[in-house]
Amino acid sequence: MPLAEWTAGGFAFLKTVAEFEIKYCQFLDAEGNLAPDSPPLASDTSELLKMYRFMTLVRTFDAKAVNLQRTGKLGTYASCLGHEAAHVGIGAAMQPDDVLAPVYREFGTQMWRGVKMSSILLYWGGDERGSNFTAARQDFPWCVPIASQMLHGAGVAMAMKIRGEKRCSVTYIGDGGTSEGAFYEGINVAGARSLPAVFVIVNNRWAISVPIESQTATKTLAQKAIAAGIPGVQVDGNDIIAVRHTVGEALARARRGEGPTLIEALTYRLSDHTTADDASRYRDPGEVKEAWSKEPLVRLRSYLTKLRVWDEAREEALKAECAREVEAAVDEYLSAPMPTTDEMFDHLFAHPPASLLEQREMARRYRGR
Amino acid sequence: MAKVTMIEAINRAHAWEMTRDPTVVVLGEDVGVNGGVFRATAGLQEQFGKDRVQDTPLAEGMIAGMSIGMATQGLRPVAEIQFMGFIYPALDQIGNHMARLRNRTRGRLTCPVVLRMPHGGGIHAPEHHSECLEALLAHHAGLRVVCPSSPARAYGLLLAAIRDPDPVIFLEPARLYRLVKQEVTDDGQALPLDVCYRLREGTDVTIVTWGAMVTETMRAAEKLESEGVSCEVLDLATLSPIDHNTILESVVKTGRLVIVHEAPRNCGIGAEIAATVAERGLYDLHAPIKRVTGYDTIIPLSRLEHDYIPNTARITDAVRETLAE
Amino acid sequence: MTTFNLPDLGEGLAEAEIVRWHVKVGDTIAVDQPMLAVETAKAVVEVPAPFAGVVKLLHGQPGDVIATGAPLIELEGSSAAQIAGAAGPHGGTAAGRSKAAADSGTVVGNVPTSNDELIETAQAGGRARYAAAPGGRLRAAPAARALAKKLGVDLARVNGSGRGGVIVVDDVIAHSGIGTAAARSGATHPHASTTSATAQHAPSAPAFSDGGEKLRGLRRAMAQSMALARDTVANCTIFDDADLHAWREGEDITVRLLRAIAAGCQAEPALNALFDGNTQTRRLMPRVDVGMAVDTAEGLIVPAIRDVGSRTSAELRQDVDRLKRAARERTVAPDDLRDITFMLSNFGTIAGRYGTPLVVPPLVAILGSGRLTRDVVAVKDRIEAHLRMPLSLTFDHRCVTGGEAARFLAAVLRDLEKDH
Repeated sequence: MPLAEWTAGGFAFLKTVAEFEIKYCQFLDAEGNLAPDSPPLASDTSELLKMYRFMTLVRTFDAKAVNLQRTGKLGTYASCLGHEAAHVGIGAAMQPDDVLAPVYREFGTQMWRGVKMSSILLYWGGDERGSNFTAARQDFPWCVPIASQMLHGAGVAMAMKIRGEKRCSVTYIGDGGTSEGAFYEGINVAGARSLPAVFVIVNNRWAISVPIESQTATKTLAQKAIAAGIPGVQVDGNDIIAVRHTVGEALARARRGEGPTLIEALTYRLSDHTTADDASRYRDPGEVKEAWSKEPLVRLRSYLTKLRVWDEAREEALKAECAREVEAAVDEYLSAPMPTTDEMFDHLFAHPPASLLEQREMARRYRGR
Repeated sequence: MAKVTMIEAINRAHAWEMTRDPTVVVLGEDVGVNGGVFRATAGLQEQFGKDRVQDTPLAEGMIAGMSIGMATQGLRPVAEIQFMGFIYPALDQIGNHMARLRNRTRGRLTCPVVLRMPHGGGIHAPEHHSECLEALLAHHAGLRVVCPSSPARAYGLLLAAIRDPDPVIFLEPARLYRLVKQEVTDDGQALPLDVCYRLREGTDVTIVTWGAMVTETMRAAEKLESEGVSCEVLDLATLSPIDHNTILESVVKTGRLVIVHEAPRNCGIGAEIAATVAERGLYDLHAPIKRVTGYDTIIPLSRLEHDYIPNTARITDAVRETLAE
Repeated sequence: MTTFNLPDLGEGLAEAEIVRWHVKVGDTIAVDQPMLAVETAKAVVEVPAPFAGVVKLLHGQPGDVIATGAPLIELEGSSAAQIAGAAGPHGGTAAGRSKAAADSGTVVGNVPTSNDELIETAQAGGRARYAAAPGGRLRAAPAARALAKKLGVDLARVNGSGRGGVIVVDDVIAHSGIGTAAARSGATHPHASTTSATAQHAPSAPAFSDGGEKLRGLRRAMAQSMALARDTVANCTIFDDADLHAWREGEDITVRLLRAIAAGCQAEPALNALFDGNTQTRRLMPRVDVGMAVDTAEGLIVPAIRDVGSRTSAELRQDVDRLKRAARERTVAPDDLRDITFMLSNFGTIAGRYGTPLVVPPLVAILGSGRLTRDVVAVKDRIEAHLRMPLSLTFDHRCVTGGEAARFLAAVLRDLEKDH
């Protein structure tokens, strides 16, 4: 029975003690038309071009990674196709000395923050050295146990708060992840302790084969923030202006000591869940086609073209440049030397026990046999 | 120097290290205002403030996970899980992250966290408050598991654990919290991890034990002494990684081994010690290795609790049996 | 009538002092009515009546110290049997809940508390690395220990033939004199039932009436291994002489012999092999480890000079000296007695020119060197006196041909006859 009916008739004794509303933000629609009340970023063409180029690089990299997997040169890989605006927009909103706690799909954010494409390939190629980022060295590595990264982001923010730093943590989670207990524990402690943390739910509507309608009874995921007593907002995840602006505002809030925010970025997973998945088994092709019509690169390109700062020739040149950059990264990855067996042993303890060293010897002896 | 209980020793170790090292932060349920349900952190919030001694919301996974995030930012969290039985929600963070962070980032991120908790039964507690789950944790590569058995070792080993650059699960035998007092100098001296402590020198049998069982074992050793049996008692202290060398060295001398632990028998840490001695010291043994352990049951509530926990009689009988072989 | 004992007032305190009684004998009291005030280490605590009843007896006066669990008061009432000191604040009396109650220091259960002092010594381990057992303790396989106990064998007198000198079951069997004695080098399976028909049966009555001296140790081992050798090996011996005319002063005879054996084995590897007569399998050995027969007071032992083909003369001499010394002192390590591939019997240092040394399986050859003498020899048509060494090469004709043996000997001679 809906709550409204409870307060009528025999349940009129119930009083309203709290209400909530969830707000939504979009500036650039699917056709590339700008809303009237847009922020200054919407006319900062150099910044927009920078982001557009980066989104193209991410898409190029992503397609190449899928191909590498299909040709046996990469292990299972989770494509970020369709998420470019959300990922790049958030990366662009962050400061370099903020800290990121990703899930395992947000390569756009990581690449913007300096993580090398070859590192990403190394990791998915089965080498832990890929997580030893050369930039953004305090960022967390990819997180497989769903939602557990929420507590890491909270802990990072706690440390920043204790030390009075003007830094923030940004933690990603997927729509499926919001069903895990750790999601609630993360937003709860962040709210209870007013941590400088921004949590971003990338709602791409699918948790492998489970659609969002099946995941939870709530109408929005942003409203789960109410349970933690923190602000929750929804944003069009394919509108990079809206994403960057909203996340930027949330980060500014946090830096001012006003506490955490939960942001739900609406987008669509245009690819399979991973290269080991076949989404055509459970998704309607009509739905996928419709999602393509709202995809992030096209709308930004259309907007930039309208602003006369972009054209076909530049597009071709950009694609070629991105292809070159990606090739260079692939070469770096493919020519990386294989790890030694010692790598299995050398990074467990700063002070390894003797028994471990004996086993290290054994692994050396049996290498390749 | 002062005579202190184990709880007081733990408290002093916290205070010492928090004074010396401003990155040490305490967190857990009821650790601040209440000073911890066993008073292990009593007085610390008054002394060091609310930022450094935090009462957290009630979520063990959050306590463990948040500690990890804090540790990567250069803090040294000393987090409390209120009872070992409540560690299960935290196992995801412990096994999937705490134990692995250094390895999976090839040393880029590390996790100098101490997760401390009361261990074992014998205090007439309700259900789920008397668990001995050290074997579950010892089975994780990248994790240290430490269990002191005296106020002095609690003080010194806790300091070592806090200073160690890698995660340590610190198990405090609840039954020993206030059982005895001991002279402990509050001088910030850590004791070495990864080694056994020989509490009694002997020549006829080696007894390896840890935690609250040290008390029963030493009592058994005294009784056996009066029967002319000379027992060597080793406190394992660091349950993982195990100091096999000291145990093997002792077995070379005595030729007989009895292992005593409160935790259940099946797949307990005693089995690991026995297997290693069988691998590397078989020809020094004069008799089969014996284990005196908790039964393979759930630890019962208080009425049967002391029938479950190995007593002095079971230990002395086991020693006599090995000598009769 | 019911005795009420002093309950545990929290924190597991051991005792309390009676401050003041609120009731006297004969009073009728209601449940929860304060009966007396007691002082613990921390606070003055009111103890209420556990049930309604009539006071019959007070177990102490103000100033008396009562131990926890000791009788406090006798009541005549309708409920409950003897109430022992309750465990823990949640199961305890109202006293535990009063404002003046001491901190129980726990949130569940009862943490046992006392003022006992722990005196202990604790020595941190991990300093000494685990090494092989020092001489003190015997290292024996568990099955060997069990068998030794059963047979009444003193393990201290048994030589271990297992890796690192460990005493194994066969060593115990050999020592006990019952059953098969395996050859020392252990290349064949000592358990093979057909290895020796001779030693299987129990020892028969001695040939002399006074019983004689029972062979033990090395003598016993020799008796058994020679019997085995005789029963299985097809011994065949070739004799020849090495002309040492070219040798300079001070040539090291033993070292030259070892080198010559190495040369022989290189020319004819068939003589540096192990042969298992039971399975009819032969293994050519890659390395020449020469067992040098050494005579000691206790009997014959055969320590090994390892890898004679690769070592310098100086190294060989060092080894020979070391092993001879060890043999004299009876400190030859078990490792130095096993895994030989060829045998040398230098009986000529004592006496004897030629001999028919016996091959000890699983080896296939043994070279005996006799006494060096100056012999008259014909050189072209002249008569000369040359220093010569007689050689006797016995080989196991089951697996070594005459030709192989002869070629081996030829190579030995060639090497020995070099000037250095």
